[in-house]
Amino acid sequence: MAGRGRGRGQNVSFNIEQLGFGRGEAVPVSVTQPPPLFPTLENRPLPLIKDVEYEYILVTQKDLNTRMRNSSFHLNTAIEIQEIQQIHNPSYEKELPVLWNRMPTELKKSIAKKLGIEKLKTVKSGKKKKIEDPDKIFAKLEKKEIVESEGEGMCDGKEDEDEKEKSDDEKVEVEDDIEEEIDEEMDEGTDYASNYFDNGEGYLDEDDNLDEGEAQF
Amino acid sequence: MWEARVKKALAVMIQHNLVKFEASERNNNIAEYSIIHHNVYCLLRYPKYLYMIKRIYGTSEEILLEILLNLGQASASNVIFQSANRLKEANDDSEISDPSALHQSFLKLAQDNFIIRCPKLADNASMQKVPTLVVEEKEKFTVPHLEIGPIAKLLKENATQLGEHSDSEVIWRVNHERFDVELRNVILVNAAARRVDSTAGELYHLILKLWRECSNPDSPTTNALSFNVIKDAVRKNEGSSPVLLEHFEQYLRVLYEDTSSLITKVGDAGGGQFILNYSIVFENLACATLDSIVLERFGSKALRLFRLTRIQKFMEQDQMQNIAMIPAKEAKMFTYKLLEHNFLQIKELKKGTSNFAPVKSFILFHVDLPQQVARTALEASYKGLFNAMVRQMHDLTDNKRLLDKHARLETLLESLRGEGLPEDELAYLSDSMTAAEKSLVARIHSMNDHLTLGQTQADDTILILESYLKFSSMT
Repeated sequence: MAGRGRGRGQNVSFNIEQLGFGRGEAVPVSVTQPPPLFPTLENRPLPLIKDVEYEYILVTQKDLNTRMRNSSFHLNTAIEIQEIQQIHNPSYEKELPVLWNRMPTELKKSIAKKLGIEKLKTVKSGKKKKIEDPDKIFAKLEKKEIVESEGEGMCDGKEDEDEKEKSDDEKVEVEDDIEEEIDEEMDEGTDYASNYFDNGEGYLDEDDNLDEGEAQF
Repeated sequence: MWEARVKKALAVMIQHNLVKFEASERNNNIAEYSIIHHNVYCLLRYPKYLYMIKRIYGTSEEILLEILLNLGQASASNVIFQSANRLKEANDDSEISDPSALHQSFLKLAQDNFIIRCPKLADNASMQKVPTLVVEEKEKFTVPHLEIGPIAKLLKENATQLGEHSDSEVIWRVNHERFDVELRNVILVNAAARRVDSTAGELYHLILKLWRECSNPDSPTTNALSFNVIKDAVRKNEGSSPVLLEHFEQYLRVLYEDTSSLITKVGDAGGGQFILNYSIVFENLACATLDSIVLERFGSKALRLFRLTRIQKFMEQDQMQNIAMIPAKEAKMFTYKLLEHNFLQIKELKKGTSNFAPVKSFILFHVDLPQQVARTALEASYKGLFNAMVRQMHDLTDNKRLLDKHARLETLLESLRGEGLPEDELAYLSDSMTAAEKSLVARIHSMNDHLTLGQTQADDTILILESYLKFSSMT
């Protein structure tokens, strides 16, 4: 510890030569800002290989991309849905060619919900049946789009939920699910308007069709 | 509203084997979803799959695979039906192709394990909220009995949907693991062809097939093949060129004596026992890749230093510049550049014992291949790939209007030309887009192609480095 810092750099623990600088040579300037985001390349990279294989791959990739985009698997963003609804029939919905009987049932409910069929609240016991008469348009659309009827089975809705459709005019919906009920309560069971409390989720949403009817004060 | 979209998105991803679900442990009625990372990455490799199938088999198998990739998961009859429709479209609705030929192609693909059956629904699945799917080990590749008759009938009637069919419960999907093995084999065969010549590549391809039949694909080394077995296979194979038949012993010898370890000789029984040691081969391939990266980025002197250090394991700065015969200043500059980019690592060995004198230490440089270098290069490749994709997306969305307009114009012109409209009217229509716009569109298209090619070739590097890391961690 003797001679700590006494005199300019007399007792440094390393030898300046070890770092590779000869005596008296300039030390490189210290860096004062982060490196540039797009530094200039010193060596130009090699050109891409363009042979038969890659040409084919290019064409195939473009083909696959176009097919995927045009297929019904391509789910449109909110803006695109708006555009489509303005140009085409507003109640137009393409059917998803998905194998529904291999999926969890919670994913299948989305189709019926989308068409705005109301699910009334359920009481906590036994089986209940609510028969509704939705508009004929909704009925026709739903008949086209619910695919899973054979997968769901024809059981009597004891403790499971089933969605059956018997005819165009009569809809039988049986709901008994407790978890679903908890969800429903949150959305529709209270006295207050469900969108009075804005949780900011739709802040940047440009979809103008959001239902804002209830919370006008 | 968002909820419905999320559900749809999940359903689409499950259909395409990108997301899987299983019943949660706590509550059987709730499903837990997880991403299958590898399958998402393999989306990039779909064109390569198609190219390989086209080369190995032919067009009808290629169409079957393409349809299966488009649908995600589908039953055999559905795939055959849609492929027949697609062929019909391609041939301009002239002839209706025979679905039984497609059926044969499907069988071939299943036999070679390129497509695999999805787990089937358990018996009580229709009662469950979250269906359990059961994997049947023995039946993963067996094609059930298909009824071609109804398919042919529907084709004649120009139907677009298949409707009910007998094997609708047997669902197939693409077998990514098998394709990965095949991609790796393609790399090895190309390496053999580059190293020696194309006949050697042919021979290597045959030997790879034999190895695949007799060994476990997950082990880092294959089982041993004897010379006689190889000889028989070469004689029996109809596709062998006459050069190969005549000189195959010499080719074999060249291959196994080559330093790239494409074939390793392990014994002399039966004329010679040969194996393929994946870890060594891929280490050599990875080293070659990394060498070329160093060469292109820093220059040949840096490459000399890198290779020297890699071979000698641990070296001091002075040693390096003496053996590599590079002037001191340059050697130091390159050494520190390589150090900065993680190609070299430092190890310090202290020499001093006295507590007063300044501590002298040895500074040794070494190359830490598996951990540092390969992973850094892999990260850089992923970043490059990602950048290319981001840039491509950016270009396409910025110019979406222009590209759409151009596409509409092109389709309009095509249809009018088909109806026989005279050329001057077509020229008038095509003038609705200015020359500047058209050249911009052409530039966008060429940039798009460039970026796609870049992504594909970055993927090649990624495959080599990933395989190397995988095999080196196995041993």
